[in-house]
Amino acid sequence: MSNPKEFPFPPQLLEATNANLPKWLEIIAAKASESLQALSLPTRKTENWKYSSRRLDLEACQPATTTLTLPEDAWLPKDHCAYFTDGVLDSDRSKLPSGGIELIAFSEAEADDIVLIENNMQAYLGDNNYPFTNLNAGKLSDGWLIKIGNKQIIEQPLALVFHNTGAKGSVHPRIIIEAGTLSQATIIEEYTGAAGATALTNAVTQVQLQPEARLTNIRLCMEPESVQHIGLTTVEGKRNSLFESHCVGFGGKLRRHDLVVKLQEEGANTIMNGITITQGEQHFDNHTVIEHVAAHCDSQETYRSMAADESQIVFNGRILIHRDAQKSNANMSNKNLLLSTGAEIDTKPELEIYADDVKCAHGATIGQLDKEALFYLVSRGIGKEEAASMLSMGFINELVQRIPVDDLKSIVLERINRFLKETFAQSK
Amino acid sequence: MLKITNLEATVDGQSILKGINLDVKPGEVHAIMGPNGSGKSTLSQVLAGNEDYEVTNGEILLNGKDLCDLSTEERAREGVFLAFQYPVEIAGVSNLQFLKTSLNSIRKHQGLEPIDAVSFMKLAREKAKQVNLDESFLKRGVNEGFSGGEKKRNEIMQMLMLQPKLAILDETDSGLDIDALKTVSEGVNALRSPDRAVIMITHYQRLLDYIVPDYVHVLAKGKIIKSGGKELALELEEKGYGWLGIDDTANA
Ligand SMILES: Nc1ncnc2c1ncn2[C@@H]1O[C@H](COP(=O)(O)OP(=O)(O)OP(=O)(O)O)[C@@H](O)[C@H]1O
Ligand SMILES: [Mg+2]
Repeated sequence: MSNPKEFPFPPQLLEATNANLPKWLEIIAAKASESLQALSLPTRKTENWKYSSRRLDLEACQPATTTLTLPEDAWLPKDHCAYFTDGVLDSDRSKLPSGGIELIAFSEAEADDIVLIENNMQAYLGDNNYPFTNLNAGKLSDGWLIKIGNKQIIEQPLALVFHNTGAKGSVHPRIIIEAGTLSQATIIEEYTGAAGATALTNAVTQVQLQPEARLTNIRLCMEPESVQHIGLTTVEGKRNSLFESHCVGFGGKLRRHDLVVKLQEEGANTIMNGITITQGEQHFDNHTVIEHVAAHCDSQETYRSMAADESQIVFNGRILIHRDAQKSNANMSNKNLLLSTGAEIDTKPELEIYADDVKCAHGATIGQLDKEALFYLVSRGIGKEEAASMLSMGFINELVQRIPVDDLKSIVLERINRFLKETFAQSK
Repeated sequence: MLKITNLEATVDGQSILKGINLDVKPGEVHAIMGPNGSGKSTLSQVLAGNEDYEVTNGEILLNGKDLCDLSTEERAREGVFLAFQYPVEIAGVSNLQFLKTSLNSIRKHQGLEPIDAVSFMKLAREKAKQVNLDESFLKRGVNEGFSGGEKKRNEIMQMLMLQPKLAILDETDSGLDIDALKTVSEGVNALRSPDRAVIMITHYQRLLDYIVPDYVHVLAKGKIIKSGGKELALELEEKGYGWLGIDDTANA
């Protein structure tokens, strides 16, 4: 552990929030705040932040003085949605679901729900590997527990839109998803922000899947470049559950997403897809961990990235197969496309296997557009820029098509098309 | 139509084409034969504008325009089409999208509006049928997972869609079964017209039974060492390349 005093959190981030939390929550938040005094910010020497710590600029996270507006390319659902503006539920815009799936503010939780929330909130207290999770807990203004009832099949996806206007300097959304036995649901998290906001979004989502539950989580990181985004998603899967995720990330000044999935009981499966795209001087860092705790679990991870201009992408994929996790099946593929010589991509698969009867395949590649393929397209009269654009789209499209919500698919495609236009426009 | 004069080209500093002269008139079909490694594919790639190959001397005139001044895509828009010896597989880009973009790029160059979706589909289906490719191939990635013969048929299908002025077929007959050879030949013959020309690179005289050439040339060590009528192909079939004073051991 490095010297805690050496890289403290900037004071403006540590100021207490003036929330009216119930006593039990206040105690947890206070504990988290206290632990922050001892935790240091990641530095170049912090292994899992080594490529990204220099991107952190928390001093810059200051409340905006002017009113900032929603970006035009944000996805704004009309129904079955909850809007959070700077961490506060906007009841006017939200159309909360009724029946089968419930949204409960932490501050209004009762009985068993309190226990559940407490357990989740305490998960990383004081853990130096999770300073931002502690920050999130310390700055809690309120959080939301989403409960999907046993055997409930929720057809319509629930959309959570987190909008950072910049007014607060930093926003710390906290979500707990409890997917009941045999339930099925799709939950979308969209992170947006006002153009020009110099704020931090520091989100934590904790997911529990009860036996046979199926949850699809689509996570869109669509904030403007100036917003810094740090996110942690943790998942625990019980027997025969399925966690399917689609993480779509567009770059910014600092972007970090940690996805930690624990397959805790037999037959728990996960499918994790990731699309990461950066341009200009943007950055995006994905760290994923898949833990096969029990036997007979299956994980399929596919992440693809494209970095243009001078941008930087990091992928770190760790698979940990415990001793008792026999007959595990783990597949990890990470393919990266460098669209310019100035771009940087760092990818690192990490496998730790303690069981002897497992199937584990992994592959990571970093490449450029295939010259032969480019020539083939161009030899049919297609312009060079368009050919490059088609090939890039071809590289990423398979994953876009896997996104199971059509509206989102179009939003993502539109955004990628704009990216490709900007990337390949120069020589036109 | 096409006039190649004294063409020399290198790849990675190595000289491959060593002074090619070729005159192709509208309506003609020229066959180019020759041992492995003699430079046939190099010539076709140079004509199409592959920048890995450097033209160090000579000129290539297409209807009076020097192709060397044109980029690859401009050549294609001017009507040059190369059916590749080894068509590239492109995952993630569908044949349909590829064909449509290609066709519209060429139409734009000709001052035409983009083709409408319905006419395009009709055309694509018709051409697929013409080369005996099932419609399902249209939706697949470009050449992705196609068999050798299917790839070649896909090349001919593209040619039929784009209706080039000058089609260069680099061993399009290799790897085709008898029926496919017929289909492909019919495709090429359908394209033949008084204002188009075809250059066919092949190792087999059999193709020339189906697509009867006006001229046959032998390319060896980067030069055309003999030209003649279609009888020349028969003679080569019978005697190999040895009698022409070149070592044909490389010719499998
Ligand atoms: N990139 C390259 N670097 C070095 N040599 C090359 C390169 N590309 C082609 N060559 C060489 O150029 C020569 C001509 O190759 P080319 O492919 O044109 O032959 P070809 O006549 O088409 O042969 P085949 O009948 O086998 O198709 C060969 O000796 C080949 O090895
Ligand atoms: Mg060849």
